[in-house]
Amino acid sequence: MSGYLELARLHAPVLTLLALLAGAALAFVSPSRRLAWVLGIAASIAAAVFSVDAAQRVLVWGDAPIGAVEGLALRADGVSLFGAAALNTAGALVAITAGAFIAEASSRTGPYVMALLLCVVAGWSGALFASDALGVFAGAEIAWLASVAMVALSAERGALNGALRMLIAGGVGAALFLLGAALLWRAIGSTDVFYLSAALIRAPGLAASGVGLMLAGLALKAGAAPLNFWLGAAMGRASGPAVLALGVLGMLGCVFVIVRFAAHAAPAPALGAGVSAVLAALGAASVVIGSVQAVGARNLRRLAAYACVAQCGVALLCAALGSPAGFAAALVQAFATLAAMLALFTGGAIGVGGARSLDALDGMGRRAPLAGVAITASAISLMGAPLTLGFLGRWRLVEAGVGAGWWWAAGAVIVTSLAGVFFGGRLIERLYFRRAVATQEAGAGAWGIAGAPAMISAIAAICLGFAPTLLLRAADAATAFVAGGGP
Amino acid sequence: MATTLLLIGVIAAWTSTNLVKRVVGLLFAMLGALVGAAALAAPAALLMLGAGVALGYFLVAAALIVRVQEAYGAVEAAELDSADGADEPAEPKA
Repeated sequence: MSGYLELARLHAPVLTLLALLAGAALAFVSPSRRLAWVLGIAASIAAAVFSVDAAQRVLVWGDAPIGAVEGLALRADGVSLFGAAALNTAGALVAITAGAFIAEASSRTGPYVMALLLCVVAGWSGALFASDALGVFAGAEIAWLASVAMVALSAERGALNGALRMLIAGGVGAALFLLGAALLWRAIGSTDVFYLSAALIRAPGLAASGVGLMLAGLALKAGAAPLNFWLGAAMGRASGPAVLALGVLGMLGCVFVIVRFAAHAAPAPALGAGVSAVLAALGAASVVIGSVQAVGARNLRRLAAYACVAQCGVALLCAALGSPAGFAAALVQAFATLAAMLALFTGGAIGVGGARSLDALDGMGRRAPLAGVAITASAISLMGAPLTLGFLGRWRLVEAGVGAGWWWAAGAVIVTSLAGVFFGGRLIERLYFRRAVATQEAGAGAWGIAGAPAMISAIAAICLGFAPTLLLRAADAATAFVAGGGP
Repeated sequence: MATTLLLIGVIAAWTSTNLVKRVVGLLFAMLGALVGAAALAAPAALLMLGAGVALGYFLVAAALIVRVQEAYGAVEAAELDSADGADEPAEPKA
């Protein structure tokens, strides 16, 4: 029995993807939306168990690394294990929350929504576990097209406009990535981007152009500013599950892929400076533009999406440092953003149902106290208040940035936090210090446990800030693993 | 030639006011990327994957345009934006 268990553990990446894709297939043919929801939860929890177990064994307990999976173009390195564990856990929580909306969806589209949600998680997990550029490309495109389809399935017609903008942005990103992969092939004779640091680079200029194009293609999908022109239209009018899939899983999944890609490319002497410059430019632009957009937003979902852009910008700045400390900081910041966004989106989903305007939050702290607590915890973490996960991510950037002489990175942290105080404060003020002027719908059709993820993610956003040892150890081990050391 | 095709496609996809032209621009961009990859002697797997992805984008785009036409009665981006903008006030843009 233990032999089978060990075999399963050695193939954790395959089993993670298999659970998600099998769940998607079953949900797709499911005759009822409730059955599809249950199947989706079961598949995503199974995937979360496989990926968290693998990450825990390798990154926390120091077991032997999984490495390449024989016969398949998959490889589990430190960043992919860390990212996949975070992403699949979030995927399971999103699948549970989706019940709040699927109860109200039509019986025809409900099963498709769950199937597409699982495809989004499978796509980004596949891109994280891929051993070469082809795998990253295939995974990212599966996830992106599934996200577009989820947005397009929303009941409101405005979502179609957003889905089309997403499709155009994603298509341009795909074209850039494809050309970048071909340039890299020409320069190093392989599409294996994860041996870049050790590869013999015959044409450094060509390789740098290829890596730059690939990063630009991924940045379009991550919503990094100023390439986030699709974000407002897509997030503003999409249905609840689509917003959760795109805002929580899509953007953060892509950020984890970018961090993994950069962690392998940055050590190559011919590429390090270029990768660093591209990520620093994207990160700084995301921090400034995302913060301004979040401050000006009047739509709750857009506010959350723009706040996510600013937070992802901090993660990109961490990765731009190009050092193991910088990549560890990027993982911590991405994890902190994931927890905060999960609490904000799921809290909003349960508290105000399908409402989008910020007015819907007025007095919600009294109407739906648990959802109010989740949004408050998320807002405090987004501000970067001490003893929260958000603070931890930014503090790690300041530490790593000052160590590398990047004093301006501390300025970016201050901009993000100031903007966070403004829009986070606005959320809290509406929750507890205003009275509702109109009757608000409060997640009327939610099914039982659909509210649990909001509380779990809020607790994670606060408690892991109090006791961050495990998270920091896992992030440090993940980057040490990529840098060539053991876990 | 491939780079020119890619750039023309990207510019058309981003700047056209007509959604059909945007999708055609996107296809040109993907075709440019494929031609470029072929010129760089990229592996067949990458080319086939790229072609498959381009086909996937085209099919999803065609379905979306049909649904947009049904929902809005128009395929001009300005008309769609003004119809959407009537629902809620504008916000800062990137």
